[in-house]
Amino acid sequence: MTAGQRLAMLACLVLSASAHAAKLNAIVYASDGKPLPNAVVVAVPEDGRLPAVRKDIEVVDQIDKEFVPYVKPVRVGSYVQFPNRDNIRHHVYSFSPPKKFELPLYSGTPAQPVLFDKPGVVKLGCNIHDWMVGYLYVAETPYFGKSDGDGRVELDQLPAGRYRVRVWHPRMQGSEDATVQRMELQEAAPASVEWKLKLNREYRPRRTPLPGEPGYR
Amino acid sequence: MQTTKRLWIGCLYCALVVFSAGARSEWGLDTAAGFTYDDNLSNSLEADDRKADTAAVIDLSGGLREQLGASTGLSLSLLANSQTYLRYSGLSNIGLGARVLLRTKFGLGAEAPWLAVAAQGVYHNYHYDYLDGWQYEAGATLGKQFGERWGLRASIRYDAYVAQQVQPPIILDKSGSPYDTYGWNLGVQATFLATDADLLALSFNWRTGTVTSVSGPDEEILEYSDRVAPTPVFGNPEFAYRINADTQTISLAWSHALDQRAAMNLVYAYRRSQAEYDLGDYSSNVITLSFSYTFY
Repeated sequence: MTAGQRLAMLACLVLSASAHAAKLNAIVYASDGKPLPNAVVVAVPEDGRLPAVRKDIEVVDQIDKEFVPYVKPVRVGSYVQFPNRDNIRHHVYSFSPPKKFELPLYSGTPAQPVLFDKPGVVKLGCNIHDWMVGYLYVAETPYFGKSDGDGRVELDQLPAGRYRVRVWHPRMQGSEDATVQRMELQEAAPASVEWKLKLNREYRPRRTPLPGEPGYR
Repeated sequence: MQTTKRLWIGCLYCALVVFSAGARSEWGLDTAAGFTYDDNLSNSLEADDRKADTAAVIDLSGGLREQLGASTGLSLSLLANSQTYLRYSGLSNIGLGARVLLRTKFGLGAEAPWLAVAAQGVYHNYHYDYLDGWQYEAGATLGKQFGERWGLRASIRYDAYVAQQVQPPIILDKSGSPYDTYGWNLGVQATFLATDADLLALSFNWRTGTVTSVSGPDEEILEYSDRVAPTPVFGNPEFAYRINADTQTISLAWSHALDQRAAMNLVYAYRRSQAEYDLGDYSSNVITLSFSYTFY
C-alpha cells in the first residue's frame, strides 16, 4: 500500500467515525428568559459504556484575584493545575465532599496537580481573598460542555444511543437530578434540548469595604 | 512629641523592612466621596446652642499588604481625608496619616473567625488653627462570618486627640486646650447581605472618656469641665469645654454594590452622650451619603 493509499484510508476512517457520531444542541435559560452562561450540560449513556479515562491535566487560573474560568467542567479522574497568574500569593482550598484539598500560600504554579477522582461539584475558595469563588464540575462521563454567553452548549462526537441528559448551574434552585431528560441520539440529525432554570441569588463577599472600615486590608 | 515621632519612624521602618523583604506585596486604594450632615456639630447640651451643618467629605486609604504566613497579613496604609463645611468653615480640615494593621484568621475559609489589630495616627489641619492636632486610634476587632449572608464583629478601641497648640488660659487652674480628648470604645456590628448587592450593617458603640462641648458662658459646665477656651468657630462668642461623658452611638448603614469594586453608601447614626455630674445629655443625628470605589 502506498503512502497516498494509507492517507486516503485514514481520511475515510476519520470521516466515517464523525459520520457515525451524534450531536446534541442544548440551550439553557434563566427563568426570566435570559440566556444562562456557565451551566454545565452532561450526557450519560444509558448503556453505561464509557471510553477509558484519559489522564488529562486541566487548568483553573487565578487572574486579578478571581478564578478563571468561574466554572470548569472536567471528567472524573482528571488532574487539575491551579496556576497563580497574579503577582501576589493565593491560598486555594475546597471543603466540598468530592475533593477536600488545600494549596497553602503560593505563587506561580504548584508542582503537583490535584487529582479529582470522585464526581460532583467542588467549590473553590482562596483563604486570603474571601470573594474569590470558583467551581469544578467533576463529571462521570466525557460527554459534557459549558454554556457560553448565549446559553448554548454543543456536544458532538457522541456515540448514537440513549442518554440521560442533565444540567447544573452554581446558582440553580433544586437538584440537578430534577433536570434529567432521557433522549435518543441518532447519527442522522442533531438533537435539541433546553432548560429554564430558577436561580438563587449569589451572595459573595465584596471587595469594597463599608465606609470607614479597612476591609481585609 | 519627640517620643511620638520616634514611634512613627520606628513603625514605618519596620513596615518598610517587612514589605521590602516580601516580593509579593499587594497594593490597594479605597476611595470614598460624599456628603455628611450633623445636626449637633457643637456637641451642645442646650438646644439653643446646637449647630448643624453639612460637609463634603473625601476619604482615601491606600497602601501595601504583605501576607506573612498562611493566616496572617500585615498592611501599611497611608490615609488622607478632607471635610469641607458649607457654613462653619473653621471646622473644615484635611487629614494625613498612616495605619498599621495586622490581621489573622483562625482557620481556613471565609467563615473562619479573624482578629485584626490596628493602630493609626492622622494629623488634621483645620481652618481654625487651635483645632489642629493628631488623632490617634489603636484597637482590636474580632470578626466572624456566619454563612454567606451574616457577619458579626466586636471591637475595643482607644482614641485620643492631641491638639498642637494650647490657647492661653482664661481661668486660673483650667488649661486652655479643650480639644485634647481621649476615650475607650467598645463596639459590636452585625452585617447582613439583604440581596446579592445590598449590604446592611447595624452597629452599636459605647465610649467613655472626654468630649469637647461648645456653648455660651455657663457656670455649671465651667465648674465641672477641666479645660476651657473661647471659640469663634460657630460665629458667636462661645466657649469650648472639655467634659467627661459616656456616649452611645447606634448606626445603620446601607451599602449598595454597583459592581465588585463600587458602592453607594447611606449611613445614619444617632449619638447620645451623658455628661458627668448630671450636667445633662446631648444627642446628634448624622447622615452620610457617599460613593466608594476600590482600586486593586
